[in-house]
Amino acid sequence: MMTTLAQSGFPEAMTSLTLFHYLFISAVMFTLGLIGFVTRRNLIVMFLCTEMMFQASGIALVAFSRFYLEYTGQVFVIFVLTVAAAEAAMALALVVLLFRRHETLDGSVWSLLKG
Amino acid sequence: MISPIVLYSMIALGAVGVLLSLPRAKANFALPGFLIGSIAGGVVLLALGTKAVSEGGANGLPNLYFYIFGFVALAASLRVITHPKPVYSALYFILTILATCGLFLILSAEFMAFALVIIYAGAILITYLFVIMLATQAPTEEMTENQAPFDRVAREPVLATISGFLLLAVLTTLMSRGVPTLTVGPVVKSDQILTELPLRIERALRNQHMLAGEGGILPTESLARAVNQDGSPGAYLVDPIDRTAVVRVDAEGGSTRVVAWPEDLTLGNVEGVGYELIKAQPGTIEIAGVILLMAMLGAVVLARKQMQIDDDAKRVQAEGLKPTGEGASS
Repeated sequence: MMTTLAQSGFPEAMTSLTLFHYLFISAVMFTLGLIGFVTRRNLIVMFLCTEMMFQASGIALVAFSRFYLEYTGQVFVIFVLTVAAAEAAMALALVVLLFRRHETLDGSVWSLLKG
Repeated sequence: MISPIVLYSMIALGAVGVLLSLPRAKANFALPGFLIGSIAGGVVLLALGTKAVSEGGANGLPNLYFYIFGFVALAASLRVITHPKPVYSALYFILTILATCGLFLILSAEFMAFALVIIYAGAILITYLFVIMLATQAPTEEMTENQAPFDRVAREPVLATISGFLLLAVLTTLMSRGVPTLTVGPVVKSDQILTELPLRIERALRNQHMLAGEGGILPTESLARAVNQDGSPGAYLVDPIDRTAVVRVDAEGGSTRVVAWPEDLTLGNVEGVGYELIKAQPGTIEIAGVILLMAMLGAVVLARKQMQIDDDAKRVQAEGLKPTGEGASS
């Protein structure tokens, strides 16, 4: 088992079971984000949970990038970061707007929007 | 692959743990829920680890720091979704991000690790914290300890946990069944990518000459290029297999010699990611820029204060702007 954190040079290939360790962490984190999004009623924490799901997908992408020794996965994480930043800006602007209307962050207040 | 009985029973146990630790109205089972959840996750990782050792020896195990960072990441993300105060949720999310950066470092994705610290922990989460503090309600009578009632009780905890962990069971099916198609194809080695970056090789050779005093190429030399049929300069003569390059001596009328690459010349992670980004995804960068611009515009339009100006105020404003005859003459 390797115990060094920084690895210099081009990395060696890793086995698929090592990959599964990372995929397990990613899957559990995604699930926790999903559960948080459904159970929390605070609008800001709901959006925080979507960011957590972005994180989890990022772990999976980087792990696959390491497994195939390709850079495409890491490049894709850059675009995931872009989307996450754009989503955070829009979502927080919406939250501020909604908070001005009803003076509450409770998501179920806005259940009238379900159409 | 690990036994499906162990995997699915541990997923069910983890679901119980998460269900216990979700915030509820009366009793608080956060600590036992956290313990049950970490036991379940630990057993799955233990089963994976023993399987990896039995198949590939100690090399199949991940880095030791993987366990530390993975535990911190999952514990902090559990706390994000269970903590009743939004500010603490955001702070625990920063901890999740830092642990994820540790995982990225182990996966030798250094650039992504540092970009994540700067962008997520530095920019996005600070925005979240600002909005949380901006949009906090004044405490009223029914709130205890400045917590809003909708933060203290989870909505539909049982249904959410069951559906979430069903998804997890589906996602982790590959760990019990195995994936026969999951094999590494032919790998483009870093040396081959380096041949497409000849100026990087030339810089490394010049640095080697300057620092070590021997080897490398002199200031009066440069990397040689092949000559096309029409006489224009062609590809650089670098050999990724022998790790050598042909150097042309400028002063001696174009005589050439072969030098070896420096021993420590490898493609770094930042160079690799940057090269892939520019080579393969140049259009996507433009689209990302447009997305960010649109998000900025949208945020400005949404969050600005909507002023209601009545007709009288508009008329007064218009009269103030009208040029008056006396003002113009004097």
